Amino acid sequence: MSEELIQIETPFAFNAENQREFDELIGRYPIKEAAMLPTLHLAQRQAGYITPAVMKYVAELLEVTVMKVKDVVTFYPMFFEEPVGEYVIRVCHTLPCALRDCKVVLDHLKAKLDTDIASETNLAKGTTADGKFTLMKVECLASCDVAPVIMVNDDLYKNLTPEKVDEVLDNL
Amino acid sequence: MALVKLNDLEIEVEDGTNIVEAARQHGIEVPHYCYHPGLSRPANCRMCLVEPYGPIPGAPPGTIGPARQLATGCTTTVRTAPPDRKLDDKYDAIVQTDSPRVKKAREDILEFLLVHHPLDCPVCDQAGECDLQDYSYRHGSDKSRYLEVKNVPPKKDLGPDVLLYSTRCVVCTRCIRFAEEVSGTGELGLINRGSHDEIDIPRSHEGVPLQVLDNKLAGNVVDICPVGALISKDFLFKSRPWFMEKANSVCSGCSVGCNITVEYKADGVYRLKPRFHEDINQHWMCDDGRLGYHYVNSDDRLQLPLKRVDDELMPTHWADALTVIQEQLSEVAAEDIVVIGSAQGTNEDNYVLQQFAHDVLQTTQLGLFGQLPGEEHKFPQFTIEADKNPNTAGARTILGSANGNVVLEDEALWEKVSGAKVVYLVSGAPERPLEDAEKAALENVEFLIVQDILPSEVTQLADVVLPGTTFAEKDGTFTNSTGWVQRIRKTIDPPGEARVDWEITQQLAKQLGGEMNYHFAGEIALAIAENVPDYADTTHQKIGDAGIKLA
Repeated sequence: MSEELIQIETPFAFNAENQREFDELIGRYPIKEAAMLPTLHLAQRQAGYITPAVMKYVAELLEVTVMKVKDVVTFYPMFFEEPVGEYVIRVCHTLPCALRDCKVVLDHLKAKLDTDIASETNLAKGTTADGKFTLMKVECLASCDVAPVIMVNDDLYKNLTPEKVDEVLDNL
Repeated sequence: MALVKLNDLEIEVEDGTNIVEAARQHGIEVPHYCYHPGLSRPANCRMCLVEPYGPIPGAPPGTIGPARQLATGCTTTVRTAPPDRKLDDKYDAIVQTDSPRVKKAREDILEFLLVHHPLDCPVCDQAGECDLQDYSYRHGSDKSRYLEVKNVPPKKDLGPDVLLYSTRCVVCTRCIRFAEEVSGTGELGLINRGSHDEIDIPRSHEGVPLQVLDNKLAGNVVDICPVGALISKDFLFKSRPWFMEKANSVCSGCSVGCNITVEYKADGVYRLKPRFHEDINQHWMCDDGRLGYHYVNSDDRLQLPLKRVDDELMPTHWADALTVIQEQLSEVAAEDIVVIGSAQGTNEDNYVLQQFAHDVLQTTQLGLFGQLPGEEHKFPQFTIEADKNPNTAGARTILGSANGNVVLEDEALWEKVSGAKVVYLVSGAPERPLEDAEKAALENVEFLIVQDILPSEVTQLADVVLPGTTFAEKDGTFTNSTGWVQRIRKTIDPPGEARVDWEITQQLAKQLGGEMNYHFAGEIALAIAENVPDYADTTHQKIGDAGIKLA
């Protein structure tokens, strides 16, 4: 084996508040492994993205192998393995949003933020130089009746036009 | 027992047998990738689809026909049905494995599996022993309809001996299940999603591993990989499988006695693969054994007898070496001679050796030498034993089998050796280091005869060195730690003038006027069966490939 194993220099651990939340949520599941998704979300909220240290910490916490955690992290596009902006903007581009001109919204965002669209394996491409925003396309956000929609971190914004997008960004 | 109608055959199988196994028992192949008899069954490859028959809903009672959906043969088991649920009044199950529907399903599944496959058989190590290649030939379509761009995931280094050519992978997950269930180490998993699925070890986003596939059973994932995705670095680009000859043998790496297949060509041993034995190693073997054969092919092997001239070991010829030994042996009294057998040697080697000691030299002082104990490694479904000799149990019994023989080991042996004038030591343990006390004892010996395969600390002290053979160059039997007597078989010829160990001992016996005239190892096994009480059944013929467990 030519490659060296990764050395985790600063181990990750939940802060007091997240630890409390974890203790509360772990009780809701029959086995620890079942709490994988909420635990990872919690960890991602604290660390910004899933680092090897986070994977190792979660694996130890849930008594599973690191590979199981890596498996889940790479399966779901909502977990990031590289740094993202403070605000992650997800633009829905599935059919109803596409028919309601999501492309206009997307192009407006691209121009306004002066960035490309991130891909699942290259988030840096869609992140602004100041590290404030990450722009990405996503599949259905389950709000077809109010298309086109975008999601900024955990909040959904509906019936968008370029003007409304400006408003949303100004209010962040 | 369940009565099953399998295609046109009426077969009886045990309740709970799955259809793949039931068919295999009767010579019918149901192709499969993800199913492996030693692992759990996720039924994810869909290759083993078969067509079960049953009552047709809505039709008059007693009418049977093919089920609406095909079923996976690996997870569909047959069992005895209650009398009112029999099909055609007598069958417990009716299954078609070659109906047009099944054939079409297989062809379609193979088309999907080949979507991202690079079709690089000409440069793939697995070609010739590849399930994807074989099934495509037998069950696949003769043309491809796929015109789009193929996924090209990278080639990856998973561990000290395992490479992953991700492009060839069909994601059967056998390797993942092996690492979870058999070795219990869980280094492997799937990354990404859907058609981008890849087998991998945990890595950072940049690809630096957090953990590597370095457990002592890791090599087995290469064996169970049905395609050329997981490849052993040790065997990479060494040989095409069809150029190698195969012989059923037993691993000499430890006292477990894993059943193996030795694959070899005239110029040496190329690889060892585990061979199924239900009670000993199931489907597996450890990497220590698997990769531990290299000493057989070593350029350093002893090829000629050596004798000490002016404090240096010089090559000589057999007749001279034997004469030198004869001179020394005829001058000392029987009680000053110690004959030491080897736990690395076969039962046959040790039997001839003790016969030589007892009948010719008339000494009952025997010893047992072998590899130093290592570490025991326990896995959920496998144990690597600490005793690194394949035949400790057998050598101990056989050496002590003649009337009045005493087999000394460890401290008692070295104490005896330090007071002896002539010692005949059969080693055969590669790279065996000598402890200080052992070294001191051997240095005290006036005339030391060593029979070994490689230059070692032991041969350095010898006055005469006789070149012996490894497990790959002789026939014989090993007795493992649980009392299984199993056969090893000759594959390649010994290097140079090296000879099979029992032949050397017999030659020496003849030189000293003894009467001994064995022609082949099986003949010695007959003598063992006659004279060693526990081994009454252990003729080579009866042992066969399955082995015999001593009572």
